Amino acid sequence: MRADVVVVGAGPAGLASATRLAEAGREVLLLARGNGFTHWGPGAVDVLGRVGGEPVDRPLAAIDRLGEGHPYHLVGHDAVRDGLDWFARFAAGAGLTHAGDPERNRSQVTAFGTLRPTCLLPEPAAGALQGRVAVVNFAGFRDFSPALCAARLREAGIDATPASAPLPAWDHDLYFTGVELARAIDDAGFRSRLAPRLARVAAGADVVVVPAVLGMNRGHEPWADLQAQVGVPLVEAATAPPSIPGLRLFAAYRARLEALGVRWQFGFPAVGVERDGDRVTAVHSEGASRVLSTRCQELVLATGGVAGNGIEANRDGSLTERVAGLPVEGFDGRLAYLGGRFLGEHPLAAAGVRVDAELRPVGPDGEPLLANVRCVGGLLAAHDPTTEGSREGVALATAARVAALLAATPSALRGASLEPPGPPVR
Amino acid sequence: MNRSLMETDVVVVGGGVTGVAVLRDLALRGVHAVLVERFDLGTGTSGRWHGLLHSGARYAVRDQESARECIEENTTLRRIAPHTIEDIGGLFVLLPGDDDAYAAQFVAGCAASGIPTEELSQAAAHRREPLLAPDLKLAFAVPDGGIDSWSLMRSMAADAEARGCRVLVRHPLVGMERDGDRITAVRVHDVVAGEDRTIGCQWVVNAAGAWAGEVGRMAGVPITMIAGKGVMVVMASRYVRGVVNACRKPADGDIIVPQHEVAILGTTSEQVDSPDDISVAPADVDRMIDMCAQLVPAIASGRVLRAFAGSRPLYKAEAAAGGDGQGGGDTREVSRTFTVLDHASRDGLDNMFSIVGGKLTTCRQMAEAVVDRLAERMGVTAPCTTATELLPGADHGTHKVAGPLARVERDQAYGELICECELVTRSQVGDAIAGGLTELEDLRRKLRVGYGPCQAAFCAWRAAGMLVEAQGDGAATGAAGATEAAAAAGPAGGPLVGLERFLEERWRGQRPTIWGDQARQALLNHAIYRGIFDLQGLGIPDEAAAANQPRTEDGDGDPTRRVGQELVGDTEGRTSSRAGEG
Repeated sequence: MRADVVVVGAGPAGLASATRLAEAGREVLLLARGNGFTHWGPGAVDVLGRVGGEPVDRPLAAIDRLGEGHPYHLVGHDAVRDGLDWFARFAAGAGLTHAGDPERNRSQVTAFGTLRPTCLLPEPAAGALQGRVAVVNFAGFRDFSPALCAARLREAGIDATPASAPLPAWDHDLYFTGVELARAIDDAGFRSRLAPRLARVAAGADVVVVPAVLGMNRGHEPWADLQAQVGVPLVEAATAPPSIPGLRLFAAYRARLEALGVRWQFGFPAVGVERDGDRVTAVHSEGASRVLSTRCQELVLATGGVAGNGIEANRDGSLTERVAGLPVEGFDGRLAYLGGRFLGEHPLAAAGVRVDAELRPVGPDGEPLLANVRCVGGLLAAHDPTTEGSREGVALATAARVAALLAATPSALRGASLEPPGPPVR
Repeated sequence: MNRSLMETDVVVVGGGVTGVAVLRDLALRGVHAVLVERFDLGTGTSGRWHGLLHSGARYAVRDQESARECIEENTTLRRIAPHTIEDIGGLFVLLPGDDDAYAAQFVAGCAASGIPTEELSQAAAHRREPLLAPDLKLAFAVPDGGIDSWSLMRSMAADAEARGCRVLVRHPLVGMERDGDRITAVRVHDVVAGEDRTIGCQWVVNAAGAWAGEVGRMAGVPITMIAGKGVMVVMASRYVRGVVNACRKPADGDIIVPQHEVAILGTTSEQVDSPDDISVAPADVDRMIDMCAQLVPAIASGRVLRAFAGSRPLYKAEAAAGGDGQGGGDTREVSRTFTVLDHASRDGLDNMFSIVGGKLTTCRQMAEAVVDRLAERMGVTAPCTTATELLPGADHGTHKVAGPLARVERDQAYGELICECELVTRSQVGDAIAGGLTELEDLRRKLRVGYGPCQAAFCAWRAAGMLVEAQGDGAATGAAGATEAAAAAGPAGGPLVGLERFLEERWRGQRPTIWGDQARQALLNHAIYRGIFDLQGLGIPDEAAAANQPRTEDGDGDPTRRVGQELVGDTEGRTSSRAGEG
């Protein structure tokens, strides 16, 4: 097999990189072991939520306070902004309009009733919690406790009351997850039966917080329609994985990649590379019965850090990059991987591949090791996506940088016309 | 404040299996007794072991007295407490490099001790346990089993309480009142009420296991215990159908016990200064895995859930006492049989007995031995019936690992699962909360919530939501509306603090076992709790965090752990000794 660019990984960084490179006219093959942090995240675009544990108000300005070697420093402010602007247009074009301003963080309500700092939010999660707030679960949904959510919101001074709305009769009385519920809510008939039940328990409320399950495959339309029928603003709270907003976004990427003709191998992890001097000439991936080899001009690694499975943490404190065997600085024994408090910080979360300004992996001397390999997203060293709240921002900024670096060919002009129309970030 | 709480015939000190078995034995003979325990039932050695129902074969070569006790009690426990037992059998596996002469001694020792063995060829052994080392020479089948000590303790305690005896958990012993050569009362501290109390008594049984020496000191009698620490490693799946032992002189990492959804690798044997030392070093974990992988090679690349340590209650007889009290030695040469100490003849203290040594498998026999002596002195003529009276729950038959799944299938309760790893349903959690549990930690010990491979990624907050719902509106804000017990023992500062504390307690001691897939799991869990839910853990007191920091003085950075550290909550509604008074 052969591809112009092979992108490995289908998390936020891989999906954005593959889409942008395809939009720029490159022929892309996307190889992925499985789903990434679209499914595991809060369903928002975090750019920089906290520095030193303290919440950040102005994420772009706060970038300057980050440590040396942080991916944001490597790619620069322009790439961060470009990444966010591109994402806002892409998402809006896919029916997933996001609210927010890269200059300002805002709050996302979670199933625990906490208000997490983030930057861009899908419209269903973006409503303000003002006045009387009803926190409503759909009866039988295990992954949302209105009592827990409302109790914490009240601590934050919000007038929140828990409630439960019965579901209309459906096929999943015995067992359902958020995925089944979200699919059911895609159906207009189901929504019309659900709306009065929701309206009844929301009576008197100014805002209704619900788990993020309002539709799966029809963008934000099910949310908007249900909200119109209930007559009260509905706000989706971030729930535990799998993230339904993340699944919506994943579906949007997938549709876009298909429209762009990107080939897609899902469930077949990349397991190695072939090299010729300082260039990678082919990527090896697991096939149904044998290892497949795909020749390529460029390789973009978006395999994630340890959490994303791009890096293996070994028993002895050493770390192994799983596709190309890139150097990753290890630890002095495995006890150093993690902090003493679970909810504190963990050094292992920030482990990754060091790169130069063109996102090429570098050796200890800072010189690039491979001329045609770029690393993006969670695989990069010197940032902790969870603790600092930067996962999607770093993914989009490094994807923007990769797109700028690798799209500089005449064919890139063709790609421009493929870009979906959409409003700029609001 | 020091109030007289109650009068009883016998105070039993120690809420491990031995103490609970003593309490039940007394109850069955019609003697009124009160058990006092500083933490919760089974927080010491009885909850920190591998779960092996001994056939006795492990002792057949060097300690046949223990071996005979084991096989006898193995048979008895299968009769009186089948619901606590997994009838899975065991193998002793002879690997290339193991001594054939030892195997011959083993077979002879088992025969002499009354333990049936069946020799299995390599092929037969692999038919029974396909993951065993491919080059094993042969194996011997023995009647080992698995036993859930918490379930056993709960059953025995319930039986004793139903017969009028009392169990007081969270009541550490703080002193004894002595009048000449008699103890007239024991003083305990009611942790929940925050008050000292006095229990007047005629007799005292010291069943404090590894801590028996400390109880002896309070009574003014010398008892020399050796703290023999054993480290165990919990793997994320069972690997084997039955117990697998190495057929060689007992050593580190020579046993694999499948239990519930996991397998436990055991164990080390190290003499330490205090039975409270339950720290685990990465090197211990590595050694367990490397050694047990000789028996079952798949373990080498398996996923480790956690590691823990327990302290064997080894008794050093008088003659041998006074020797080295230093830490560091191997304690395997100390006999695993048990000893009844009558402090009247031994120390001139008329009304106290100690029961020391032994092991979980022989707990009932130990209780019988000490209560026989006590009953004789008390003039109680009722014989021991603990070997024939079935425990509550015994009519359920033996525990089957597939049982919980079968229950879920039968009830079609897929949508009711709070904990998918351990198949805990909403109604089980609801019943436990209705029964008085107020803390996630209690739900874990009762229902195994949070024990599975995902390490509480999903179940903890589902259960936390149910706790908040059960406590009602007022409790949700951490103030009025909660029961007195919840207010006293539970968290202050809001609905998420209990959850944060549970997560931090689960984190303790996990670091030595985190690499590979488990490292990924840890970071994913962090991404859920801190990333999505934005928990910062700020409600956790600094000292808890400080206690969890690596010790700097010993090079391997072993997180310091102490027995009882993880106990934050109340237990089974046994809140205060005032409860049920009058």
